[in-house]
Amino acid sequence: MNPVSLTAIQTIVVLGLAPFAVGCVRLFKARLQGRRGASPFLSYVAFATLLRKQMVMPEDASWVFRLTPFVVLASALFLVLVLPLTTVGGALAAYGDLFVVAGVLVIGAVFLVMGGLDAASAFGGMGASREMTVTSLLEPTVILTFATFALASGSTGIDGMLASGLSVFRAPYLFPTIAALGLVALAENARYPVDNPATHLELTMVHEAMILEYSGPYLAMLEFASAIKLTAFALLIGNFLVPATLAEPGASLTMVMAAVAAAALKLVAAMAALALLESVIAKMRFYRMQEYLTGAFLTALGGLALALIQRAV
Amino acid sequence: MNPDFLISGIFLCLAGTCAAAIISMIARGKARRRFAMLTLAAATAIGAATGAAAVVFRPEFQAAPALFGMRIALDPLAAVFFALLNAIACAVSIYAIAYVDGHADAYDVRRLDALTAVFMLGMQGVVLAAAPLAFLACWEIMSIASFFLVMADRKPESLRAALFYLIMTHLGAGAILAGFMLLSGGFMHAGFGWMAAYAQGLPDATLLLAFALFLFGFGSKAGLWPFHVWLPEAHPQAPSHISALMSGVMLKMALYGFLRVLLGILPPLPASWALPIVALGLLSAVFGALYAVVERDLKRLLAYSSIENIGLIFTMVGAALYARGAGLPVLADAALAAAVLHAVAHAIFKSGLFMGAGAIVGQLHTRDLEAMGGLAKRMPRFSGAMLVLALGAAALPPSAAFMSEWVFLQHVLAAVRTASPFTQGVLVAILSSVAFVGGLAVFAMIKMFGIAFLGRPRGAHAAQAQEPSIGLSAPVFAMAGLTLVVGLGAPALLAVTGFFGVTDGRRLVAGGGALSPFSLAAVFAAVGAAAFMARRLSSDAKHERAYHAWDCGQPTDASMEYTATAFSAPARFFFRLLLRSRKDVQASPIAATNPWIARKTSVLEIRQVWYELMYAPIVRAALFVSTQARRLHSGVIQFYIAMILAALIAALVISL
Repeated sequence: MNPVSLTAIQTIVVLGLAPFAVGCVRLFKARLQGRRGASPFLSYVAFATLLRKQMVMPEDASWVFRLTPFVVLASALFLVLVLPLTTVGGALAAYGDLFVVAGVLVIGAVFLVMGGLDAASAFGGMGASREMTVTSLLEPTVILTFATFALASGSTGIDGMLASGLSVFRAPYLFPTIAALGLVALAENARYPVDNPATHLELTMVHEAMILEYSGPYLAMLEFASAIKLTAFALLIGNFLVPATLAEPGASLTMVMAAVAAAALKLVAAMAALALLESVIAKMRFYRMQEYLTGAFLTALGGLALALIQRAV
Repeated sequence: MNPDFLISGIFLCLAGTCAAAIISMIARGKARRRFAMLTLAAATAIGAATGAAAVVFRPEFQAAPALFGMRIALDPLAAVFFALLNAIACAVSIYAIAYVDGHADAYDVRRLDALTAVFMLGMQGVVLAAAPLAFLACWEIMSIASFFLVMADRKPESLRAALFYLIMTHLGAGAILAGFMLLSGGFMHAGFGWMAAYAQGLPDATLLLAFALFLFGFGSKAGLWPFHVWLPEAHPQAPSHISALMSGVMLKMALYGFLRVLLGILPPLPASWALPIVALGLLSAVFGALYAVVERDLKRLLAYSSIENIGLIFTMVGAALYARGAGLPVLADAALAAAVLHAVAHAIFKSGLFMGAGAIVGQLHTRDLEAMGGLAKRMPRFSGAMLVLALGAAALPPSAAFMSEWVFLQHVLAAVRTASPFTQGVLVAILSSVAFVGGLAVFAMIKMFGIAFLGRPRGAHAAQAQEPSIGLSAPVFAMAGLTLVVGLGAPALLAVTGFFGVTDGRRLVAGGGALSPFSLAAVFAAVGAAAFMARRLSSDAKHERAYHAWDCGQPTDASMEYTATAFSAPARFFFRLLLRSRKDVQASPIAATNPWIARKTSVLEIRQVWYELMYAPIVRAALFVSTQARRLHSGVIQFYIAMILAALIAALVISL
């Protein structure tokens, strides 16, 4: 198959699986907590419902409030197009440079922040301030984590890192880096211990507080964007652990189908792990976030040091 | 291209700037001052075109006609800065027409306009000078003109800031003078080329001393930590178009001087000498960004952001120098390219932001972010331009600053693979610090935009704000456009300026990968269009109503919004060891039955740690010495004559 159709398949698969991933983690969490939980396919219905609802726009909001859902969704779609999620060597893989990916992640985050501030409610501002703090202080960890993979693989494109067949099991010195990537993924996707995605109390919210004033189709777009981001990060970590299942240009239809099936399996496994994690640990107090962020940074730095030592010997 | 053409362009530019200074000094009335400013704009536009032509065609002319014993030259490095300086100056001249008209009661308009032109003339001279004496003369014209401009509104705080600036800039100028003396053997008319040959034979100790003097001299002008304390005082105090010139362009003159000395005069230096530049650059970047995050004054925030960006640029220069000494020529070229590109990017977005801040402050009558808000709704077009500039200052793709950081970090990463262990440590420190600063810069810029433009107005003036007049907003739009153009055209720009190692003309190229800014932007735009189409097709675009935000059942007002102080509270808390901010909350109970019902006053003090740590002791010592010296003032004339005699004898003893 050619790169264009591989990228198209990856986009369709990830966009299709994203609501399922969110439903999955809710179901697993419910089961772990002794509840029956809703079907993982309920989130598709929720999105369809939101798209039909009337939107309520805050009176003080400006054009930035309206622009936000589009930019946030576009940044998530961009990640799906350029990252190696079910396939390496996709048509747009050349734009999946680590600095570009980090920059696009920040673009999505800052527009959410501005959307939160624009509604002129204290809750939105609170979430915006917290999200801005986490995003900005996470930046060095993101760069160092991907820089380590770049050093180990010789490519600064995330696609190239996976295409080089780099696997944690063949290069165990990358374990701290994978751990750092996990910490980055939890913070970027507003999961425990950074944020509680299921909270109903505005004062403890980060992500939810920023999108509090969004409703209807705009809310659907923002929720879909965060579902896509969660799926992309889960698959990315899964691929760094087991890169062998990725489809390559020239692969037959069966191999591509196998790659898609493997991606679905990785996604379910990652969501199960996330649900387990969220059931056994508590959310951290926000003013202790510097411990988490420093820990993540030191883990990434340690991973980089290990990779440098590995190259030297 | 015929060099004579360029020389006449340079002379037209200089003559036009001079003429504008004279016209604005004698012109009375709005129409004539408009004519003076248009003359200035035309002269600088010619200068920008000449500089751009010199960059593109690289004519062979070193020593052009003499002017008062000064020689004028425009080599590729100077040409880049000449074009940049004049382009920004042109936009500022246009902006000045409407801006100064709106503030005619606060300033002495004729003097302000004339000094603006002289200030630009001084900077043009700095770039054109090919000998230390001419360089220093123009440097002084630039410094003294800007000193008077800082105190243009004659307020006590402006006067204080201006005097502080004057002291710092003259300490710097003294250091530069001493450095030139050392390198030229006292022969100040010699050209830079002659000095380079002379400096080859100087002992290492002399070179090190000269290097340290230049680092202090140019570093203090550029606002490098710890010589930066004057910058956040002086830049915001000046009229906004002068702030734009000082932050956007004058800092680049210090960078130009430093590059001129490092690359053109000093012999290749050992790698270890570059480490102080890297360290000071990174410290400036970190502290500039941190203070920008917690600052509440719009123009001071922008001034701190200038310190941050200058810190990044000096880090790049230091890294280039280090790489040259450590045997990494690819990184050396790339870091220099990144430094020049970042200087261009910063000049554009910072002058745009300062001009935009001037337009806002003119309407709101305050620089305090806590009195702003809701401007995006009241000035939608203008806020769009400011958003582009703010995102450009946050170095997000596809802005120009992102491209320079991309070039720099990509090559740092590529160099880490092959370097020696110590160099690897240095490069990793640079990589993580620049990423850290990048995150904080995003924080500061989003805070600025979010608090000033979004939400509900926090003051009466903000509630009545309107779209600024075309004279004020057109230069800001131009700068916002340029930020994107330079970002998308970064490969072409770098190729034209001669940095062929980092670009193939269409893409930016590094060891680990390549990036085409234009296609990147196209992909992102296409994805955005897809999101827009999907929303249109899947839902009804008109199905909405306006209602107030969630208020927990009680009406809310602007005082319940998040403020700039609150927005940066987590950062202030996390970095409290570095910032040493002090918060004092006093509660006086209102109801005797319930201690929780209390009237609270909160005072938050963000201290100038570096001023208190490094400058306050010097001030105290100087005051102490002068108090002691006052005891000699006895009023007895015989005693004074005896003192003069003693001084004369001492001088003779020392000199013989």
